[in-house]
Amino acid sequence: MKTVVKAGLAALWLGAGTAWSAPITFNTALPVHQGGYVLREQFVFMKIADDPTPARRDMEVTGLVSVLGYGVTRDLALFGMLPWFDKRLDMQMGGQDIARSKQGFGDLTLLGRYTAYQYDAPGRTFRIAPFLGVKAPTGEDNAGDSFGRLPPQVQTGSGSWDALAGAVLTYQTLDFQIDSQVSYKANREANGFQAGNVVELDGSLQYRLWPRSLGAGVPAFLYGVVEANLVHAAKDRNGGIADPNTGGTTLFITPGLQYVTQKWIVEAGVQIPVVQNLNGTALKSDYAFTAGFRINF
Amino acid sequence: MKSRLKAMALILSLIMTTAALAAQQAYKLRVDGLACPFCAYGIEKKLGAVKGVERIEVDIGAGTVTVTMAEGATLDEAAAGKAVKEAGFSLRSFERVQAAPPSAPGGQAK
Repeated sequence: MKTVVKAGLAALWLGAGTAWSAPITFNTALPVHQGGYVLREQFVFMKIADDPTPARRDMEVTGLVSVLGYGVTRDLALFGMLPWFDKRLDMQMGGQDIARSKQGFGDLTLLGRYTAYQYDAPGRTFRIAPFLGVKAPTGEDNAGDSFGRLPPQVQTGSGSWDALAGAVLTYQTLDFQIDSQVSYKANREANGFQAGNVVELDGSLQYRLWPRSLGAGVPAFLYGVVEANLVHAAKDRNGGIADPNTGGTTLFITPGLQYVTQKWIVEAGVQIPVVQNLNGTALKSDYAFTAGFRINF
Repeated sequence: MKSRLKAMALILSLIMTTAALAAQQAYKLRVDGLACPFCAYGIEKKLGAVKGVERIEVDIGAGTVTVTMAEGATLDEAAAGKAVKEAGFSLRSFERVQAAPPSAPGGQAK
């Protein structure tokens, strides 16, 4: 189960760094203008179930991810991302239905992105931007209930300082935009638990559906969006021992819509797992719904 | 009579010269890399911060930004290029054009 939560949230956390007319589930190479800010709020609902074991685990995660981006220079942008979670795990234990839940702020991620290559032409741009980030353990990682300490996947924080790195490529024209990202997240141990490292490959196509032809001025755009996230998570380690029921590979496809104006963007998409090659009895993802807005100032 | 006509012509010429100097200057910037509405905000903000800029009109389809200055103010290419660069784009060309009437649609007053 941890694997699926990790896979879905990895995509969304990195996506939270998005600051431009860009993918719904991951980052973009497009800039935040120098001295400018971008604020993004993203609502996420994830459903994870299909438990093959007698425990019949069923998990729901509701999240609100807040992101603030700042353009330090033309090429360097800094992002801070803070999620708030409401997590609930329903399961059977000793013949009884039990529910374990936790609400609160999660771990803060700080990310720096540098546009290393840029080619601009009339009505189009191509950019490549590597990024580097750190996740600080600001969320609670040792919460408990009447049954004892909550399992790691229900905690709102991991308790560990983790690092992430990657690069994002963007090709944008007036008619469409293509983004591609590769990223790696190295997780460290906390409280005897170490989540498996995550490698991810993402792609996104945003196609202008409306207006069909451009007149004068700056009209709002309606984009149809299709995204793919290929996420591989290594096995988690408990007390230094790899858990055989964690880790694996998931491919998500996300259809969505974006409405883009000069000052704000609203967007929504449904992340659907189309391939889930998970280890052991790891829970499978049902879907993740995401909706949000961005404003720049 | 002849000297009076000369004086009147001189005064008229002076008035016309002063009016021409005080008229609004406008510039058309061709900007490369401008490809979505959300991007246009940054370029309006950066050019709007340049001293003397009164009005900015972005035409995303044409990839142009028309900048109208306040009366008596001018825009130099270096300042325009710096603003465009800080917005994250590239200035392809810079030319002086006839100022549009203030009621022209699509513009963004500073």
